[in-house]
Order: sequence, then C-alpha cells, then structure tokens
Amino acid sequence: MALQDDTLWYKDAVIYQLHVRTFCDSDGNGIGDFRGLTNKLDYLQELGINAIWLLPFYPSPLRDDGYDISDYTSVNPTYGTTDDFKTFLAAAHSRRIRVITELVLNHTSDQHPWFQEARGSRENPKRDWYVWSDTDNKYQGVRIIFLDTEMSNWAWDPISKSYYWHRFFSHQPDLNFDNPAVREAMWDVMKFWCDIGVDGFRLDAVPYLVEREGTSCENLPETHGVIRELRKRLDSAYPGKMLLAEANQWPADVRDYFGNADEFHMAFHFPLMPRMFMAVKLEDRKPIIEILEQTPQIPESCQWCIFLRNHDELTLEMVTDIERDYMYDAFANDKAMRINLGIRRRLAPMMENDRRRIELLNGLLLSMPGTPIIYYGDEIGMGDNIYLGDRNGVRTPMQWNGGWNAGFSSADPERLYSPLISNPVYGYQSINVDSQRRSEHSLLSWTKSVIQTRNSFRVFSRGSIEFLSPSNHRVLAYVRQLGEEKVLVVNNLSSSAQAVELNLQSYKGHIPIEMFGRNLFPRIGDLPYLLTLAPYQFFWFRLRRI
Amino acid sequence: MAEDILLGDDFLRQLMSVGEVDLLVAIPTYNNAGTVAQAIQAIEDSYQQNFVRDRVVILNVDGGSTDHTTETILNMNGRKAGAHRGITSLRTVHRVTTQYGRNPSQGMALRTVLAAADLLRARSCAIVSPTTILDSSWIASLLRPAYRQDFAFVAPLYTRTKFQGLLARNLLYPMSRAVFGLRIREMYSDEWGFSGRLATQCLDQNLWGDEAVRARPEAWMAVTAICSGMKCCQSFLGPKAPPPAGSGPDIVETIRQTVGNLFWCFETFQDHWMDRTGTEAVPTFGSDHELTPEDAPASQEKSFELFRTGVKQLDDILSSILRPDTLSLIRKIAGVEAGKFRFESELWVRTLYEFAASYRRTVIARDHILQALVPLYRGQLYSFLQEHRASSLEEMEADSEALCLEFERQKPYLIERWKAKN
Repeated sequence: MALQDDTLWYKDAVIYQLHVRTFCDSDGNGIGDFRGLTNKLDYLQELGINAIWLLPFYPSPLRDDGYDISDYTSVNPTYGTTDDFKTFLAAAHSRRIRVITELVLNHTSDQHPWFQEARGSRENPKRDWYVWSDTDNKYQGVRIIFLDTEMSNWAWDPISKSYYWHRFFSHQPDLNFDNPAVREAMWDVMKFWCDIGVDGFRLDAVPYLVEREGTSCENLPETHGVIRELRKRLDSAYPGKMLLAEANQWPADVRDYFGNADEFHMAFHFPLMPRMFMAVKLEDRKPIIEILEQTPQIPESCQWCIFLRNHDELTLEMVTDIERDYMYDAFANDKAMRINLGIRRRLAPMMENDRRRIELLNGLLLSMPGTPIIYYGDEIGMGDNIYLGDRNGVRTPMQWNGGWNAGFSSADPERLYSPLISNPVYGYQSINVDSQRRSEHSLLSWTKSVIQTRNSFRVFSRGSIEFLSPSNHRVLAYVRQLGEEKVLVVNNLSSSAQAVELNLQSYKGHIPIEMFGRNLFPRIGDLPYLLTLAPYQFFWFRLRRI
Repeated sequence: MAEDILLGDDFLRQLMSVGEVDLLVAIPTYNNAGTVAQAIQAIEDSYQQNFVRDRVVILNVDGGSTDHTTETILNMNGRKAGAHRGITSLRTVHRVTTQYGRNPSQGMALRTVLAAADLLRARSCAIVSPTTILDSSWIASLLRPAYRQDFAFVAPLYTRTKFQGLLARNLLYPMSRAVFGLRIREMYSDEWGFSGRLATQCLDQNLWGDEAVRARPEAWMAVTAICSGMKCCQSFLGPKAPPPAGSGPDIVETIRQTVGNLFWCFETFQDHWMDRTGTEAVPTFGSDHELTPEDAPASQEKSFELFRTGVKQLDDILSSILRPDTLSLIRKIAGVEAGKFRFESELWVRTLYEFAASYRRTVIARDHILQALVPLYRGQLYSFLQEHRASSLEEMEADSEALCLEFERQKPYLIERWKAKN
C-alpha cells in the first residue's frame, strides 16, 4: 500500500520523538542538523519505528527550545535548509517512515515579525493579531502555567505601552484567534508544510487558543471552533494528514478535542503517563486502572497517544496533590530533578537503571491502547544531566558510539550545543548505539524485538481492551482483541515474584502462545489460569483456538 | 508451623494476592451484619485519609455468622472519595474475609489474625470491634505507634463517663499495674494495636489451647510485650459508647474472663514480675484518659444484699481461698448495715491477692474461685459507689490512684502468698 493510501496510519504508528539539534551533526558545528538526521534514518528503520515526530526546527531565538517561533515557513539555518528538510523527508518516506512536525499555534516568539509589527503602533494592521489590554486585570484567575518563572499571564510592552497576553513565557505572546486573519495565516503555514510533504502536525498548547472573560480561558468552545475549521480545510485539501493535540488535561476534557472525529485525530493521554510510573513504584495496578476507567470512548478513527518520557518535564499537572508528592519523593528526591510541576529526568535514571523495570514500562507502553511514542535515546537507556538548566538535561546529544563526542559531532567537545552525558553509568562510553548493536541482549536489541512484535499484530494498535481483575493487585492483566486476533498481556508490577490466577473462562479452549519465544502454554480450561511471574516480568500471549 | 493447620486454602489464596503489607486492621465478627459495614467503612476511610501511600489490608475473621456478615463486607463498594481529585489511597485497599470456625472464639479469631499478619509481614496491626461506633481517627491512633515508632503494644484510652469501666478502675488496672509494673489503663478492650513482631512472637507461643487466652487474648498480648521487654504505649481514641444494656456478658462471665485471664497471666509470666518493683508510666499519644460527669446509678442496695448473701453462702469456699484473718474481716463488714458499709482498700487488695494466690495453687476448681470473687466485687462496687456518689471527678481519680498505690504497697504480700505452700 502506498503511504498516502493508508489514512489511518497514525493508529498503527510507533512514533520516535527527536529534536534535530540533538541527533546527529553532519557539518561539525556541534549542533545536529537535517543532513545528520538523514544519515541516521537507517538506524531508525532498523529500530522499527514508522513515524518521526520532530520538535520545532524553525527560526527562533531559542529561548524555549524552539517553541518560540520567529518564522513558521523556513528551517532554522543552524539545522540546514528547506531543501535539506525536503531531502530528509523523501528519505524517510522511502523507508516508510512518516514525519510529524510541530505547529505552535497558540503563540509566537516576541521576535516574530508579526509581533514586531503589532507592538510598533496601535494602528498597525497586525496589532489585532495578538491579545492586548491597557490593564492587567482582564481574565483574572486564569492559572499560570510556568509557575517557576512567570508571575502573571500579562506582560507589559514598553514600546506600545500596553499589556499583552501570554500563557507561557512572557517572550511568547499569544496570538488572537478571534481574528480571522490569524486563522488564515495559520492555515497558510499548514499548507506550506503539507505541500512539502509532512504527514501530520503536533499542535502545541491547544487548549489556550481563545480567551474569554470569566472563564479559565482553557478548552473554550471557540477554541474547538478554530480546530474544526482547520481540520475541515486539512481533510479537504490534504486527506490522510494527521493532527495530534497537545492538551495536558483530564481525559474527559481532552475527549472534546476529538469532537465527532472532526477535530484531532490523536491526542496525548497525559494523566496515564505518571500513573504508569506510579503503578510500578507502588507495585499496584490501581493508578492505571483508575485513570483508564475515567477515560471516555473516542471516535473509531481517533487514537490516544501514549508515552513514557519526552522532551519536557514528566508533567505532574494531571495528578492529585498526594500523587504529586509521592511522585516527587519516589522519583525526584533531589530538588534539582524538579521543574514547574514535574520531573526533568529520563526513563533509565528514573528506573535506577533497572533493566527489568525499563522493559516492563516499555512493555506497558507498547501493549496498551494508543499510539506509543519513544523519546530519542530511551531505546538505549540514555541518562540525563539534572544540572543543566530548564529541561536541557533530557536534551543532550544522542550517544552513537564510545568515540569522539559519542559519534554525534566532529566538533571540539566544547563547541557542542550541550555537554554529553559522561558519567560512568550513563556516559556515552557505556551507553551507546554501537555497543548495544553488538549484543543481542542489549536494551536496544530488546527494544527492536518488542517493537517488531507489536508491529506484527494490529491488535495492539487497533484492538479493544478488556481488563482482567485477578485478586492479586500487583498484577495488571488485560486482553486486547481485534476480530479473531486476541492477545493476553500479564504484567507483574512488583519487585518480587508473584502468582496470579486469571479468570479466562471467556477464552476456554484457547492456547496461549508466548509471543517473544513462541512457546506454547497449557490450554485454558475451566479452572482459573495460574501463572507465576518473576519480578517485573511481563508476558504477551497470543490466544489461539487450535 | 501453627498457620499450616490454621489457614484454609481459600484464605491463603487471598493472602497471596494481598502480598506483603504495611498495615493490617482486623475485625472479628459473629452475626454482626447490622453494624459491620460502618466499621469497615471507618477503617477504609482511615486508610484513605491517613495512609494513602501504604500497603494496607482489612481482614475480617468470622466465627461462623449465619446472618450474612461476610457477604455484607464483600458486597460493600469502596468509597471513591472525590474520584481522582480527592484524597484517596494510591494503592488498592485490600479486603480479605475468612471463617475460622463454626463457633465464635476470641482466641481463634486472634490466632487467625496473627497468622495472617505474620504471613503478610505486616508492620503494624490493629483489632477493632464490629459493634463499636468507630471513628476513622481511632484506626490511625492504634496503628501509628507501632508503624511510625517502635511500640509493640498499643492500648486504647477512652473518654469514660464517671461510673463507666468500674471493674477496670477497681480491679483490673490497679492490680495489673502493680504486678507488671506498667500503667496501662485499658488492658482489656475491644480495640488495640500491636506490631508485626509481637504478632509473630505471640503466634509462636504454644498457649492457644488455654481457655484464658481463648477468652481474652488482648491482655495476654500486652503482658507478653511487657515481659519481653517490648515497648508499650497508650493512644487516646475518644468517647466510647457503652454497649446496649444486656448485650454484653453478665458480671459473672466478665469476671471469669477478665480476672481469670489476669490471674492466668500472673501464673504464666511469674518469672517476669516477681522481682519487678514500682511502676512506670507508659507513653501516651493524645490526651490522657478523660472522665465526664454522670449521674450516679440508681440504688445499688441489691449489690450489697448479694454481697452479704454471697459471703454467707460461700463461707466454706471462701475459707479455702482466703486467709482466716482476711475472711474474718469480710464476715465482719458483711454484718454491718448498708448505710455504714465500707470495703476498705487495704482489705480489698489483700483479698484479691489471696484470691490470685489460691488461683495459682488451685485450692479448689479455678472457676469456683472466680465465681466466689463475684459477690465480693459486688460489695466493693457498692462501697465505691456509695463513697463517690457525690464526689468530684478529681476526688474520684485521686481515690483510684490511692487504690493503685495500695496494690503496689501490698505487692510483697502477693509474692509471699504466691510462694507459700498453703
């Protein structure tokens, strides 16, 4: 099937998230670029992923890692040219890897020409492209997202002598989506990248597009209206392109962003992520079950996006205060590990480099309903550097080998955009792609194997889920089903061996076939199905009636 | 191992599913379908409010209820306080039920609880009654000392009305305090806490066949802790409503169970208390015990009559229990008119110590000894009520403390009688 013919491709995707800056430097300036990334596409194909989500690569003052865009329709020269991007895109497509880019709708950089014009005078036609006020009293009570750095959602502009609205950093003024010209300009941006060939957009900070007095200025009906308008135009002009929502909200609130399958194709399931960590730490399935019980059904063509870690802090906005305190105590006892309402750490260090727990969490990620996202470097167990500012500790150069600059760049080490991880445990001499390629028991080899298994069975990406309720709460078990394809997943969340009896009466007569070793297990009969699991062990069984 | 023969397969299966826990609260039941739900809810609320991170289990041990007590528990839905935004336990709150036999037995219930606590490696445990109107804070108060600190036994303290708990005030507390040297007010109670270590130690003792353990095992646990050098404490719980009239055992049965158990503890642990002198206060969490005013009970003339009749009718039995001079004094006070009657502390203490010594020597059947104590207790109770009918709470407390000191003063006499051949 040609790539463009599969309009539900995002449901079957395994997405790899990366920043071009971090991945591979082709020209020796210490910063990753599109040519370097293109050179590494074979690696990504070998890993088994079939979509890449690129973090912002546009011209930007880089005061928020590129989410402060100053030009939406070109490539930051540091990372290459638009032609370099096109070459990369074609190379990815030739490997059946799709590319998702960032679209930061909500705000621009204060260096964007639109804002420069808007602040220039109150009469400027661009003035109304942003949200201005003569006082900072409007929209009182709206929460501040970056609590560590911002005191207000209003910032004073000394040039036009008025306040402008910003939900994120004060150097990121919010666009005024009540203005049709802004909506048209954003559609032009989408058309630009769709014409080049990108396969989808991850829309940043979606809930905050529209402001209304007396509301939280989040998830407003008018915001949904903006999304529906963009989706309609996208479907009409570019069928098969995908929209992914970044809406860090409770599932019931995010549900609205799927609309009647007329808003987003996918949305992140933010609350699930911390609860996967919590469940393993607590050794109890309760957090996962509870949040999935609260997760509403979504239209057939839509899909949740699930992840363990990403370029941001492990956000703890969608947990209770008690859960947040627990997460901090469990995973961020050093204050340097915390930022905003979250934890700035990578997967492997959070799991204390325990291979069993890393595998278990990845096993959960790849077997639960939703499209999984793997953050670059987590497939080899890269570490972090909590002493770098902001969230830069999880954005260090990819570790390709144990040689010069970890194989990332030929530049002088001092010139790298970020220091490499160099400690004895997680340093590039120990943790790198080349060394793990040489061992079939490495984390990288294991990750390839588990992705390959997932990709071989569409039930993981499109199947239903039925949770089993064994009395042993340290065990999380569920059956995924798509037509006649059935997979039983059993996870031991505990640090000790567990016995579990599963009620599999509905599958009486089926033979469980362990999916990694393809070994047969005893046929399911009338009695509860007894399994014993080693610490943090998980099984994926294909249930076959033979 | 004791638990090998104690725990059925289904119970074991449930325990396997629970796994290791930090906290265990047990609720022994027998035909308590009407009240058990509120108790379970109080326990669950306490877990949800106070121990959100901890591994917890609620254990129901049932003595063969025929009123669907266990079904009531199993059918209760866990309260989801405030859903995802409220205070709620991070972990599963496990509920386990088992039936240890077809007839209720405090001892068997406790033994089952201890076996479960041992298998689950619970760090802190509590036992509560299904008939007590529990406040969720009580559970935390019983669990915390063993969980957060190193206490092995946690006795409750209640707000009592003035004339509530008189057997404890006039006999059990002062006598156990003098003998074992620790000032634990409520050694006999329906609620108490203990550490997993104490649970294991008690479970391993081969005393489960003894009637005294089977009837009132809580004091035995306390004395085991004291005599093993483990730390004991008291936790203030709050006001405890008295059981409805007629719902508990009568005075004869109560004395048989409590005083019989106490005398049995004297005997079982005699190597540990003989040389112990003086008494020590135990750490108390929350307020010390509290008294609230209460009108004096109606005329207790009947108690006095029963005392007089008992002394006369049981003269032969009393003469085999008491020293002649002691019995003579009792006969003498039994002869005075009610209005002038007074059972002096000195005589009351001496009488009790002689009963304890006779119990040890089994001069007659032990049950007869305990029954013979009943009329004497009625006399002492009458005397106490007469004296304190109008006294203030402070005066009554001071008098009780004086009684405790009298028990301590005469402890050498107990030891003398204890060691005597006759």
